[in-house]
Amino acid sequence: MGEGVLTAQITRRPQTGAPGSGPPRPRRRRASAWPRLWAFLTFGAPGLLVYICFVLAPILVSVGYSLTNYNPFRPPTRYVGLRNYRLLFEDPEFLNALRVTTILTVIVVVVPNVLGLAIALLLDRRGWLYNALRSVFFVPVVLSSVVVSIIWTRMMADDGVINQALRGLGVDRPPGWLSDPDLAVYSLGVILSWQTLGFCVVVYLAGLQGVPRELIEAAAIDGAGPWQRFRKVTWPLLAPALTINTVVQLISAFKVFDHIQVITNGGPGEGTTASIAFTVLQVGFTANRQGYASAMAIVMLVIIAAASAVTLKLLQRREVDL
Amino acid sequence: MRKLLAVGAAVVAVGLVGACSVEEAPSPGQGGGQGQQEISFLTFETPNLTPEVWDAAIKRVTDKHPEIKVNKLVAPTQDRTAYAKQLLASNQLPDVLVAVSPAGFAESGALYEWKQEELGEFLYPRNGAIGGKVYQLPANTQTIPVVYYNKKLFQQAGVTAPPKTYAELLDVAAKLKAAGITPFVIGGGKTTHDALGPTFAGILATEVYAKNPKWMADRRQGKVKFTDPEFTRAAQKLADLSAKGYIDKGMLSQDYAATQNAFLTGKGAMYAMGNWFAAAADDPKTKPDFEIGQFFWPSDDGKQVVSAFTGGGLLVNAKAKNLEAAKKFALAYQLDKTNLDTSCKADGLIPAIKNYSPPSDVGPVYREGFDMLRQAEAANAVVPAFGFEAGDDGMLVGVPEKWDAGMADLVTGQKSPTDVAAFLDTEWEKAS
Repeated sequence: MGEGVLTAQITRRPQTGAPGSGPPRPRRRRASAWPRLWAFLTFGAPGLLVYICFVLAPILVSVGYSLTNYNPFRPPTRYVGLRNYRLLFEDPEFLNALRVTTILTVIVVVVPNVLGLAIALLLDRRGWLYNALRSVFFVPVVLSSVVVSIIWTRMMADDGVINQALRGLGVDRPPGWLSDPDLAVYSLGVILSWQTLGFCVVVYLAGLQGVPRELIEAAAIDGAGPWQRFRKVTWPLLAPALTINTVVQLISAFKVFDHIQVITNGGPGEGTTASIAFTVLQVGFTANRQGYASAMAIVMLVIIAAASAVTLKLLQRREVDL
Repeated sequence: MRKLLAVGAAVVAVGLVGACSVEEAPSPGQGGGQGQQEISFLTFETPNLTPEVWDAAIKRVTDKHPEIKVNKLVAPTQDRTAYAKQLLASNQLPDVLVAVSPAGFAESGALYEWKQEELGEFLYPRNGAIGGKVYQLPANTQTIPVVYYNKKLFQQAGVTAPPKTYAELLDVAAKLKAAGITPFVIGGGKTTHDALGPTFAGILATEVYAKNPKWMADRRQGKVKFTDPEFTRAAQKLADLSAKGYIDKGMLSQDYAATQNAFLTGKGAMYAMGNWFAAAADDPKTKPDFEIGQFFWPSDDGKQVVSAFTGGGLLVNAKAKNLEAAKKFALAYQLDKTNLDTSCKADGLIPAIKNYSPPSDVGPVYREGFDMLRQAEAANAVVPAFGFEAGDDGMLVGVPEKWDAGMADLVTGQKSPTDVAAFLDTEWEKAS
């Protein structure tokens, strides 16, 4: 295989010379394209097949379902064109899910990024204590979301440790973190932020360790104070870390399902914490409207893709090369 | 080298294509050596229905029928119906299922239709029928709710007797609240249906079903609506209990297990719950250090109205590979005397089987509840349990979840009773 590629490269070289220059060389047999194609197929096919089977095909199947009234309990299935999509944008349940998802996304993108950067700056030092603290902050990331959800449900319950502490401090009627419809979505945002904070810390720490010390020292010699050094030197060089954190947090917040399923089941009340992913499952497997749920899933996919692409584009503009 | 790569690529490609192809789920029926017929059985676990309880119950049947081998599946949450739907969607519906709502499954032809001659041992062989056909063994009766009360807390608040009318209930609640005691224990979260539903079912029994026991059938025919005065008055009662502080809406954050525990540890005086709670109340491991009393949810005029549901038994997959074995297992499981006795003790159920009487060593809370139900049946005071009905008497698929959400909205005050009623009518139309 390597021999074939090499031959192809070698045979192309003489053609770049000026025509007629030098003595005519003996004509060599033109190399076949097969070896390269074969190499591509051999190495590319497994990955391509995995992608087609487990990513592309399910998406296409979902698109197909979304154009039908598919309900496994109510055959026959009929083609309904874009009716599901039209209904979606008039459906209060979906619009509410979009609102809840947006609130959660804003919290989960902003809070872990801000706190993660602050903590990373504090932990960007040498020593066993800082190494240990880095591990401590990363622990929630590796915990199962169900475990995290159960722990926080207990903590945020009416008689959980948080409210007991507040009562101990003299708060007569502490908030119903998960039972108050106006608060529950923000409580979920806090839980999600807590779990993903460690990821942001690690990415920012990696970014900080890539900032050349000499630049910081040069800025200090030029009279820049700590804030100016951070703003003018460190922060611009952390742009790639910000891009990674923002896009990853954005995508994970849009997809959030398991915490909601375990902690609030979309409530209290009608959809106060129901994200799009949660609503897709409810509509698909509780109300059995799987055609309609597929349309929701496709819209969700488009929103995530568009939001990620725009965010990526905007943030990459800030990135600077050393 | 090329040959090696070609072989490798071919193996990978064949493997992937094989993985992508849609294949019928391997039926357990094909397994099981030595002439055994293998079936799968979907169960669920609760604080009362532990893995040991299920395993022992299955073993009793397979000991009698060694030709049947059972693969137990456990639903990941208490919502076994949603899980069964996911399994059906992926062509993996188990051969036998327990306490799964048959709505939707039955209409799609997924469930075996029991013949009346197969149901000869059951007290109410037509209960839970869908389109006149019975798909779920009508195995047991559940009173939903019984209002359990903490006699010690009642005494502390100066309450000497359980209330007989709704006005008396409010009076009791006011006295408890004045004494710094939470009158009602409720729950919510993922388990709103079971942890708050019985309270609303009690109110709806006295306001809706007492006047029209066919209300849900009438709703299916469009003769009544949720926005009718009977339903909205009931919704208003639930909202008022919360507004007056008799229900602590903060408790909506606790799940079913925590709710039960809250009552058992004296965090509230009254607990409107299905009679299955008797299992925990009588269990030496969870039995509280106070005496538990019980009464049915009182009506305005004091006339006894008892809401109950008979059904909840096993269902059989119509396409089970070993259909006869699945049917035999389901019936044997359901009629096994020891299993029935165990269901009384472990899950507080009241078997709806002819000539059955519970064992003599059931706990006092269970015995009292059993006797109360029998008296209510004799007095013809039993009506369906709103929100817990099944089949032709139940809500349309997808509506019970909205009913759960509506209840929580009433308790939190997020929506008015008329808004909740209108919302339920809208959701009903969507589901129909």
